[in-house]
Parts: sequence; structure tokens; C-alpha cells
Amino acid sequence: MSDKGSASESKAASSQSGGFAALIKRTAKGKIGPEDTVLVWPNLVYLELISMVFATAILLFLCLYSPAPLEELASADTTPNPTKAPWYFLGLQELLVFFDPWLAGVVLPTFIIIGLILIPYIDPNPLGKGYYTFSERKFAVTGFSFGLALWYILIVIGVWFRGLDWSWYWPWDDPHMHQPAGAVKLVDLEVILQSTLGLSERPIVTLGRYAVTVANILTWGMFLGYYAVGFTIPFLLFRKFYNRLGFVRYNLTMFMFLSMMGVPLKIFVRLLANIKYVLVTPWFNI
Amino acid sequence: MSPADSKDEEVSRRRFFTLMGLGVGWGGVVAALGGVGAGAARYMFPSVVYEPPTIFKIGLPSQYGIGVDTKLKKERQIWVVRNDRGMYVLIAICRHLGCTPNWFSDQKLFRCPCHGSIYDPYGNVVGGPAPRTLWRAAVSIDPVDGQIVVNFNKRQDPDPKGTEEGLMVEEPGREVEPFFLKV
Amino acid sequence: MLELLKRIRNTVNKTQVFKSIFRHGYPDNDANRALVMFSNVVLHLHPVRVHRGALKIKFTWCLGGLTFFFFILLAITGVFLMFYYVPDTNRAYQNIQDLGTVIFFGDLFRSLHRWSAHSMVLFVWLHMTRVFLTGSYKPPREFNWVVGVILLSTTLVLSWTGYLLPWDQLALWAVTVGSKMAEASPLIGNAGPFGPELGMNPTNDIAFVLLGGTVVGQSALLRFYVLHCLALPLVTALFIAVHFWRIRKDGFSGPL
Repeated sequence: MSDKGSASESKAASSQSGGFAALIKRTAKGKIGPEDTVLVWPNLVYLELISMVFATAILLFLCLYSPAPLEELASADTTPNPTKAPWYFLGLQELLVFFDPWLAGVVLPTFIIIGLILIPYIDPNPLGKGYYTFSERKFAVTGFSFGLALWYILIVIGVWFRGLDWSWYWPWDDPHMHQPAGAVKLVDLEVILQSTLGLSERPIVTLGRYAVTVANILTWGMFLGYYAVGFTIPFLLFRKFYNRLGFVRYNLTMFMFLSMMGVPLKIFVRLLANIKYVLVTPWFNI
Repeated sequence: MSPADSKDEEVSRRRFFTLMGLGVGWGGVVAALGGVGAGAARYMFPSVVYEPPTIFKIGLPSQYGIGVDTKLKKERQIWVVRNDRGMYVLIAICRHLGCTPNWFSDQKLFRCPCHGSIYDPYGNVVGGPAPRTLWRAAVSIDPVDGQIVVNFNKRQDPDPKGTEEGLMVEEPGREVEPFFLKV
Repeated sequence: MLELLKRIRNTVNKTQVFKSIFRHGYPDNDANRALVMFSNVVLHLHPVRVHRGALKIKFTWCLGGLTFFFFILLAITGVFLMFYYVPDTNRAYQNIQDLGTVIFFGDLFRSLHRWSAHSMVLFVWLHMTRVFLTGSYKPPREFNWVVGVILLSTTLVLSWTGYLLPWDQLALWAVTVGSKMAEASPLIGNAGPFGPELGMNPTNDIAFVLLGGTVVGQSALLRFYVLHCLALPLVTALFIAVHFWRIRKDGFSGPL
């Protein structure tokens, strides 16, 4: 009923306006004639009704297929093994393996929210408004898709590749057998620097609780250097990019982008070099 | 003083009183809202909370043999550990995000099911994401019946040192009163 | 037969009662189709005429609308669940078991609530992805994107507060982990960076506000219940209203 209505109306409209491509062009110029619009009742209202009916049917099917589970009564002395949050928080739970709780549980989610809020204000590209395009906004789409992919990969790992004691389980591993523990020892970056470069463990300066060693200063240099290099390279090589964004937008964009890239970087550093923290202070570790 | 001057003064005086009135009025509104806001924030912090006891007795020292005793984990969320120097009480709360780790007697390790932290029987972190060592609760002997008294909220929490074995705290420094019983 | 139905409809449409409720005839002509949009409070979310592109399924995929639909479903099933639920650590688990065993349709409403919640979270993400990929956040719609991100956050917090309520193992441990994260907040948590330096302890930090105590117990259950059933749905509904209002004011971004 609705399809018929909309089909006939849109056919009529497109015959008046000279086809679809012409319509897009006209709209891009901000000229929308009444012939390009249709009545909401019945065209849109019925579309909504149909999609709601479909959604309800699917939900009811899911309810029959898999009713809401109920685990055992809450008990503070036994943590179920493994304890998995619902799927949409498993990306976060997976991050908690690689970062301290203040970072993975509080600061990174806050950065994600702030970063998302900033998107419309740091993207000055007027192209690609109101239609799907990749070629007109390569950096924006790539950056966003990367973050999204990271989020979903972490969720997939949490849902299907984590088992008892939050160890890694391949689909063919027996999920009821514990994996051997302690095969890998995690070490802080500054400890590795100390032993490989033969640096002294004695602090140069002591600021309250903070005993600053040479290795510690080196780790600070590497951490801040990551951001410094990351801010500078696009400025030198892609001056057009910088000029288009301007000072404030450029710095916000690069900070968010580098922080996002830092997450998989730290994960790789952990997995490849068994480094627990890249930066250690008495108050926080990264 | 010319009449014009006095008129100017008149205007500025009126202006002064108007501004002062506005200031006092709006200041009052802001102060009242601030007071109510602060009160509402304080409202969220109850002055009394009804929670389970945090100081309790766990029986005589002679009831615990060498090694890790897990029988009080369910009831009290603690492990009682005895070595050849004495005994201490580890709190069964993972220092990562508060899950209850499990004791594996064959591996001599505590392993947390939530995010895979691993501790040795001393509470040192030997693997996984935990940022600090397991807490040890304050223990004492009741002078009347000789039972061990555990204070669950008085906890030993030393700064651990990153080593190639993991996050470690030197043991002699931990085996001190009131977190260690030389019995 | 059809003729008869039409006659009945025309008669009903002319009665005083019908006219007092609906200020227009049956929407089978353009005038009444416009009037129905003006005079119906629900349909008034829509404009009278819409750009043909807005009907293209391949543009919107109906994601935002379905997210809203799931929110409505959650509100309805949630009200039904509240009839049998007491936020008491000694009774909550039994209440949920009763829903599955002794209450007609209890399991269905609970399952529907759960699946709608999962769907809402999924569809909020997908909707955001779609809006990003079509560049629909670009001027003048920046603020509506911000409102959307706020709605994404409240949706996630709503689901998180919701799964404490059955008081089962998942509930307890998910919230234990969540409250430990709150304790680890920088500056305002007792275990976070610079928290202890600022005088934070387990009885005055952000986790204490969240739990109403120092352990996940009765006070926490009550706080989460109030947040889940009242405070957060109100906030979410308010922002949904702003979200829709801005769509109506700023128009639809699709060029098609």
C-alpha cells in the first residue's frame, strides 16, 4: 500500500524533475522544489509502521529462541570463572587487561565520548554532507572506521576468545581446561632499559614519593616523544591539512588521533615485548 | 557645585543603588541555589551505612597448617596463610577490579577469573593487569580466648617494585606487626 | 463488504465524539493527510511533507527510528516488570525467578526487555555510524550530534544499571567491577591517580555516591533501581525530545 503510493509519487516527481542525478545536483545547490517532496502520511508513516512490525517480530523470535538468562544468586565470595560483562562492554573489559583501571575504565571512555562530541567541530570539510562518500573525506572516514574497528575487534576477542581466568582460548581449545599460568613475565619498560643499557637504579632526584631515575626520564622522553613526533610530522609534511584545520582544531584532532593510535600501540608493545607499563610514577602507571 | 553636577551625581547614585540591588538580589539567588546544590550533593553521602562487620574472629592459630587455607574465603573473603615464620591474612579481593581470585594449589598461584591477574602466595603480582599486591589484613590475638582477630578494613598496602619477576615487595618488610603473627 | 466498512467509517467520522478527538477526517486526501500531521501529538514529530530521499531505506536504514522504537518497548515492558520487582537484596532474585515460573507472560516481558535493550545498544551504535558516514553531523547539525553522543552514553549507563537488578552473579560482579573503576577515577576516586592526595577515601569518593556505601549491597541495589527506572529514563526521554526537535528544525541532511 505504502510502497505503491510512494513509488507512484516518486515516479511522478522524477519525471517532472528530470531524473535522480539532476535531483541530487539541485539539492546540493539548496534548491528543493515541492515536486521533490512527498506527503509523510502515508509514505513515511507506513514505512515506519512496517519496520516496527518487523522489529517486533524479530524480537519475539529472539525471546523464544533465547530467553533472558538468570545466573546463580549473587554471592560475594565466589566470582564466576570467567566473568564476562554483556557484549557491549567486553571491549572495555578487554582494555582492562592492558591498561590500569583509571585509564581503561575512566579516562579512555571519557576520551571516546569527548572525541565523539568533538567530531563535528574539528571536521571543517564541507563536502560529503548528506550522502555516503569515501573519496571526498578520506581521513575522517578512515579515522572513524579505525576506531570503530578497534572497538569491535576488542568485543569479538572478549566474546569468543576469552575463557577461564580470562586466558586466550582458540575455538578448538577445550573451554573447561585451565591454561597454564605465568608462562610470560611482564616487566616495566624502565626495568628493561635499566638492565639492557646498564643504567643505575639510584634516583637522580627525589620528589616526595617520586624517585626519578635515568631510566624513568628516558621513559618520559619516549612517552612525550610519541606525542611530540606525532604532532610535528603532519605539520611538516601535510601543511595543507594543518592550514585547513587551523591551530586549535589541528591540536584537538591530533591529540585524539594519537591517543586512539596509542591504544593498539600499547597493546602490541605488551604482546611483543611483555612490557607491563611504559611509564611508571608513584601516582599512575601507563 | 553647579546644578548639573548634582544631577549627574543623582543619576550615578541611583545607578549605584540599582546595581547594588541587582547584585544583592542575584547574589542571593546564586547563593541559595549553591546552598541547595551543596546540600543535595551531601544528601548522597549517608552518615550511617548498614554493612557487615569488619572486625571478626577466625579461631585459634593452631587450626591453620602450613600453606594457604581457603576455607574462610566464602564466609569472610580472606585466605589464611602460614609459612615457617608465622601467619598472615590475605584479603581475597583482586587489586585490579575487585573480583575474587581462586587458589590453585597445584600451581601455587592465585588467579583472577575476571582479567587474568596472577599472584603468588605472598600476594606479589606475577602476571596479569593487577597494579598492586594483594592486601594483608591486620591480625591480632584476643587475650581472652586466644583466637585470631582480623580487622578487615585495616590493610597493608606497600608500594610494589617492578622487577623481572613481576611486581614485588620484599617479604621481611611485610612481616611486621600488626599484619603478621609470629606463631 | 468494503463499501459497508467505508460507510461505517464515514458515519463514525461525523460523530461528535470522533470530531472532539480528531480534528480531521480520515487521511485519504492531501488536506487531511496534512492535518493529521498538525493535530496528532505523536505524528507531529514528522513534518507534513518530507524529501523523497528520506524514504530511501538505503540511506537511513531506519536505524534512528528503530532505536526510538526499542526505547518505547523498553519503557512499556519495564513498567510491567516493575509490578513484580522489589529492590531488596533478599527478595530481588526470587522476584526475577517468579517472573520466569509463576507469572503468566513474565518470562516473555523479561526476555523482551532484555532483547530490546541489546538491540537499542546495537542500533544506537549503528545509527551513529550511519550518521557519521553520511556526514549528517556537519553544520548546521553539530549540536544534534552532541545530543546523540549523550544519548549513546545514557543508553549504555541504562543497560549497566539494569543488569544489577536481578541480583544474580553477573549483576553483582559487573557492578563490583564498575564500582572499582569508579574508585580508580583520577582525582575523585580513592584508588585513582591523585585521589588519596586530595583526601579521597572509601567513604567520600565517587564510588561511595554510586553505591550508597562501601560495598555492593542493599543501598547500591536501591540506587541503581532508582537510576534505572526513573532518573535515567527521564534524562534520556528529555534528550530524545531535543534530538527530534532539532531534526525537525534543522531538516533532513539527505540530498536524495
